[in-house]
Amino acid sequence: MSKPHNNEQTPQKPGKEMSRRQFLTYTLGGASAFMFVGPAIPMVRFAVDPLLQKKTEGKYIKVVEANKVTNEPQEFSFEITQIDGWYESKPTLVAWVSKDQQGNIFALSPICKHLGCTVDWNNNAKFKDQYFCPCHGAHYTREGKQLAVARAPLDEYKVKVENGFVYLGDIIPNQHVQ
Amino acid sequence: MAHGKSKDEKVVYVGDSRVKQKVNDITPLDYSSYPGKSEAFIPNFLLKEWMVGCVALVAIFVLTISEPAPLGYPANPNNTGFVPIPDWYFLFLYQFLKYPYAAGSYVVIGTVLIPGLAFGGLLLAPFLDTGKERRFYRRPIASSLMILSLLSCVYLTKTAWDGYKHEIAELNITPEHIEREEKAREAALAGKPAGQPKPNKSIAIVDKDDPAFANMKKAGCLACHATDMKGASGPALLGIGDTMNKDQVLDVIKNGKGNMPPMVDSAKAQGLNDEDIEHIADWLAKQKAAQ
Amino acid sequence: MFKGVYSWIDERLDITPMWRDVADHEVPEHVNPAHHFSAFVYCFGGLTFFITVIQILSGMFLTMYYVPDIVNAYYSVEYLQTKVAFGQIVRGMHHWGASLVIVMMLLHTLRVFFTGSYKAPREMNWVVGMLIFFVMLGLGFTGYLLPWDNKGYFATKVSMEIADTVPYIGPYLKELLQGGTVVGAQTLTRFFAIHVFFLPGALLALLGAHFFMIRRQGISGPL
Repeated sequence: MSKPHNNEQTPQKPGKEMSRRQFLTYTLGGASAFMFVGPAIPMVRFAVDPLLQKKTEGKYIKVVEANKVTNEPQEFSFEITQIDGWYESKPTLVAWVSKDQQGNIFALSPICKHLGCTVDWNNNAKFKDQYFCPCHGAHYTREGKQLAVARAPLDEYKVKVENGFVYLGDIIPNQHVQ
Repeated sequence: MAHGKSKDEKVVYVGDSRVKQKVNDITPLDYSSYPGKSEAFIPNFLLKEWMVGCVALVAIFVLTISEPAPLGYPANPNNTGFVPIPDWYFLFLYQFLKYPYAAGSYVVIGTVLIPGLAFGGLLLAPFLDTGKERRFYRRPIASSLMILSLLSCVYLTKTAWDGYKHEIAELNITPEHIEREEKAREAALAGKPAGQPKPNKSIAIVDKDDPAFANMKKAGCLACHATDMKGASGPALLGIGDTMNKDQVLDVIKNGKGNMPPMVDSAKAQGLNDEDIEHIADWLAKQKAAQ
Repeated sequence: MFKGVYSWIDERLDITPMWRDVADHEVPEHVNPAHHFSAFVYCFGGLTFFITVIQILSGMFLTMYYVPDIVNAYYSVEYLQTKVAFGQIVRGMHHWGASLVIVMMLLHTLRVFFTGSYKAPREMNWVVGMLIFFVMLGLGFTGYLLPWDNKGYFATKVSMEIADTVPYIGPYLKELLQGGTVVGAQTLTRFFAIHVFFLPGALLALLGAHFFMIRRQGISGPL
């Protein structure tokens, strides 16, 4: 009466046949696996969904007339529509727009590549005609090339010029300097 | 019991912790004194339980895939056309409170006394039914009380559900979660965004001094759409121009939509003419959310 | 490899007795449907627990998207149900699971009642079981409001009126539940906290007590 399962443990010939005990264990394992994996798959897929959502290409936003852009960087701010799940907002972005040596318009993001503070143009007497970050003293050339502290050049916006207006799009790594 | 052997008379600890030094393998538990036939929890018993669990899991999946969880429209406290109904397991109480002896000045009977007695009785059942007999047919009082309350709960639930069905049929209301789903499906087929539009606080009435607004009040439009046009039993009209043009608005006024009856006749009864009505449609089509 | 890790831990913490206690205990044969099919009525307790585990898991995942705020609650639910992959399944599991838990628990309660299993010495376990029942109903009630759609909103309003009729303390009870004078922002956050922290905490404690008592007393003998 006691230990009924112990009686089944009679020595088996090696290989081939499966003992009753083993069969039960495998079935139990399979059923457990189904019961844990079954609910887990939809839930895990649900949780990682933000990683797998198709990233939408940002729209180009009209920022300024092309003929107002000079060799000297100028600061422009513009609003984008950001859809973050169920939350829609219109954050304001800032771009420093100027022309490079070939006369092409480019726009730099003022987010310092060191620790994410905001850089400013020509705001420090020591670093004339440079972007300077007040947080840790990172500074960058007019093209955004890092000169100290930061490890990468300033990011830039995708630029499109149409009908005499400058349109800015997604932020991409700096294309002008390494 | 079997492990009465004095193996661990001298307790040896692991390092300086309180965990005992392992002596040897665990002796299997001895159930020789256990009453009745029995079997091991793992794997014999658990396997059967797990099998039933798998069936239940498959059932849940079938249910969730075939029937999406219902979701209505965003809560609108001004909505007067909504028939509230609780989840099914509270329906019996909901129905019970409709009866005159459990409502009005007797409401305490319905909300506190009877539920309190029922739930209290259930909670204290083992202290009320103290006999040794376990078979239900040998303890008629307890069993019949339980069966009786079960039957009355089933009856109340069914009556409540039938009443609800009858009410929405009479008012010609589609339950919101069904309506929302259908509309979402239609919108998806038409390639339009299917979500509910968010209330935008910045929407204001465009050109409020226009006579159209006064005429709408006169024609009774604002009785349902609210005097600030934010919507009550009818939907909000603020920013309606974003989704409808003049002809579409005119069509709704003439033919009605959903619960809304055609309004032309009642508007004319209030002294409006065709031109006024057309002007209202024109004015509504200009109601766009401020950019 | 696994064995090595296991014995390393076991040597230090002596964990074997803990699971051997669960794994090796014997269960009376009369509750196993493989022997008498009518014994399937003994499965409902286990099923209630299984669905409860699904409820806890799916609920945890739902809070990754849900916000308890009257402006955004509805839209976050709509988003997770319609835009997030498998959102319909996860929310469906939570929604339908809630109903199934109630059904299973009801069947379990009826089984215990009609087999007289609540009699001495198992009175305390019945009381704990009934408390679990109330906690489950509370979870259903507070969860109904969370999507902040008309159905949940008006059902909650009705319930608040019911709370209001309780003699003497009614108005205070109502305001306490509402977290204010109207069913609104504070009601939603309150219900969320109750639904997600207070009641599940109570539920886990009660379930622990329930299982502990079952292990101590064993399953009631055959009729």
